[in-house]
Amino acid sequence: MSFKRHWLALLLLLLGFSVQAESVKEGQLAPALNLPLLGARADESMSLEALRGKVVYLDFWASWCGPCRLSFPQLEALRQELGPRGFEVLAVNVDEFEDDALAFLDAIPVTYPVVRDADADSPARYGILGMPTGFLLDREGVVKRVHQGYRRSDGEKLRKEIVQLLESTE
Amino acid sequence: MSGDKKESNSTLLALTSSALLLPAYQAANAEAPPEFTEVGLRYSNYEEDDTASSKTFGGSSERMEVDVAQFHLLAPVADDWSVALDVSWEDMSGASPWFVGESAEGDSKVVMSGASIEDTRTEVSVTTRYYYDRGSAGFNYSRSDEDDYESDAVAVDASYDSDDGMSTYSASLSASADEIEPTQGVTPTGTLKDEKDIRSAWVGVSRIVSKRAILRFGLSYTYRDGFLTDPYKLNDERPDRRNEWVIQGGYRQFLVTPNAALHVDYRYFNDDWGIDAHTVDIAWHQNVGGRTAIIPFLRYHTQDEADFFANSVDFSERYYADDYRLSAYGAVSLGLKLRHDIGNWRLNLAAERYQSNNEWGIYGGEESPALVDFWRTSIGLDYRFR
Amino acid sequence: MMKLLSLLVLALMLGGCETVAPWERGTLAKPEMQWQTDTMEARLKGQLYNSKEAASGGGGAAGGGCGCN
Repeated sequence: MSFKRHWLALLLLLLGFSVQAESVKEGQLAPALNLPLLGARADESMSLEALRGKVVYLDFWASWCGPCRLSFPQLEALRQELGPRGFEVLAVNVDEFEDDALAFLDAIPVTYPVVRDADADSPARYGILGMPTGFLLDREGVVKRVHQGYRRSDGEKLRKEIVQLLESTE
Repeated sequence: MSGDKKESNSTLLALTSSALLLPAYQAANAEAPPEFTEVGLRYSNYEEDDTASSKTFGGSSERMEVDVAQFHLLAPVADDWSVALDVSWEDMSGASPWFVGESAEGDSKVVMSGASIEDTRTEVSVTTRYYYDRGSAGFNYSRSDEDDYESDAVAVDASYDSDDGMSTYSASLSASADEIEPTQGVTPTGTLKDEKDIRSAWVGVSRIVSKRAILRFGLSYTYRDGFLTDPYKLNDERPDRRNEWVIQGGYRQFLVTPNAALHVDYRYFNDDWGIDAHTVDIAWHQNVGGRTAIIPFLRYHTQDEADFFANSVDFSERYYADDYRLSAYGAVSLGLKLRHDIGNWRLNLAAERYQSNNEWGIYGGEESPALVDFWRTSIGLDYRFR
Repeated sequence: MMKLLSLLVLALMLGGCETVAPWERGTLAKPEMQWQTDTMEARLKGQLYNSKEAASGGGGAAGGGCGCN
């Protein structure tokens, strides 16, 4: 009996049934997050709660994710432009080795807060399906859109969405 | 006047794959277009060892030498597309086996084509690729041109990831139409103009084994139809049909402590000409610092002889060939590659030594006196526009 | 032959017993972990071996007709 079950489980795995947490969806409140800053300021930490009242783009990234080379400069530009109106980016790094993340930021520096999740606990809680994944949150911390991957023209699309969220509650 | 000694031995008609069998730009997790445009230029030199005097009638003979220049471009287009262009120019010169005869002592010896050969081949290949949510699809057109031979090929491929992203399924279909118009030169050839068609299908699955390893499995079928004989060889009459099957496997393992990756690839080939072959490729990608890689590699290939292969051909048979490429042998290739990054530039260096011998193969069969050994060296520069 | 094949397929199936989460795929994204690491080299070698041997296919290189002897 357990032999048959064993083979069924293998077959299911082969067919690609995922066995992870429920993915956070639009309309849900973003789960709590409190993580240390990356690198030198690791004694300080940042939480999502502290950013309540701002429109937030929560970005799960890693040094090895190619599209992050496109997203980082674009998110930095958005933050420079819309920061004063209440927009913030919170980047969560999930690299296995912190040095890789620091090398990436050396090459592509940003001014928005970057925190580190060494145990990769938060991407599991958020049910990330691919890298990078971004969550656009409104001022109440509710997920308005889940952004899978990153393509070249996504900055433009994001800008419109962010401005809309900023204006609706300004 | 037959003073035009320009004979093109550049065509290896029957034994080349002129169709795309595996998409050239398929990465393990190709879900997004490349972020930046990259270009590359490479020069390679290929030089065969002289055929030993013991193996030929009339002293040792030089063989083939080829200079190759390659150009490569890969660029993202809009949000979801990429385009790749590959061009190569080959400049060939030298002699190649014309036929095999038997000496007074009963040894098989090769007679090389006498004239000095000179030929140039140009190949252009373009691939457009579209990236969707969990995979990509590509279309390729290739064209190859030389004095006596031209080939047009098209191919399509697609890949799709499973829900959990652990598996990638891919498939490819390709077709080519080749035309040969042998140069009427020093080697008499009865063929004026002929053609052949090739059709090929491939399916594969790639699977993530662990955080550090992936495994791949593939199957392909190829059908060749038309003029498959080598018109420049005296004793050569091949079937006008050929069915081929290939089973392949691949493995990539990253080793954290040495900071290196092990590559193992295996291919089993079988066709209805009686040829069976096994090929194993092993490479060790050793990272040295963050900008350099040293990659030693080893390749072992062994094949069985074609049903109609013989050093002393029997003309009463329907099909016959004394071409060493259809004989039984084993070949070992040892090489080293070096890669060094300087800013957005990458320097590539490679050298490879290939040797073949009947005794190194796992199959029996006659040893052809024309088995080839060669050196290949390459140097190139790539640039990435960041 | 069939035994080898079924072993390979089994390895493929068993290999995925433990799902590797999307954020754990950093090592697999390394350039040296791709199926093809050097396009030009793959094309050159493909052309070379296909024209000197009886077997062909299974490589990562595209072919386009041939000038090979």
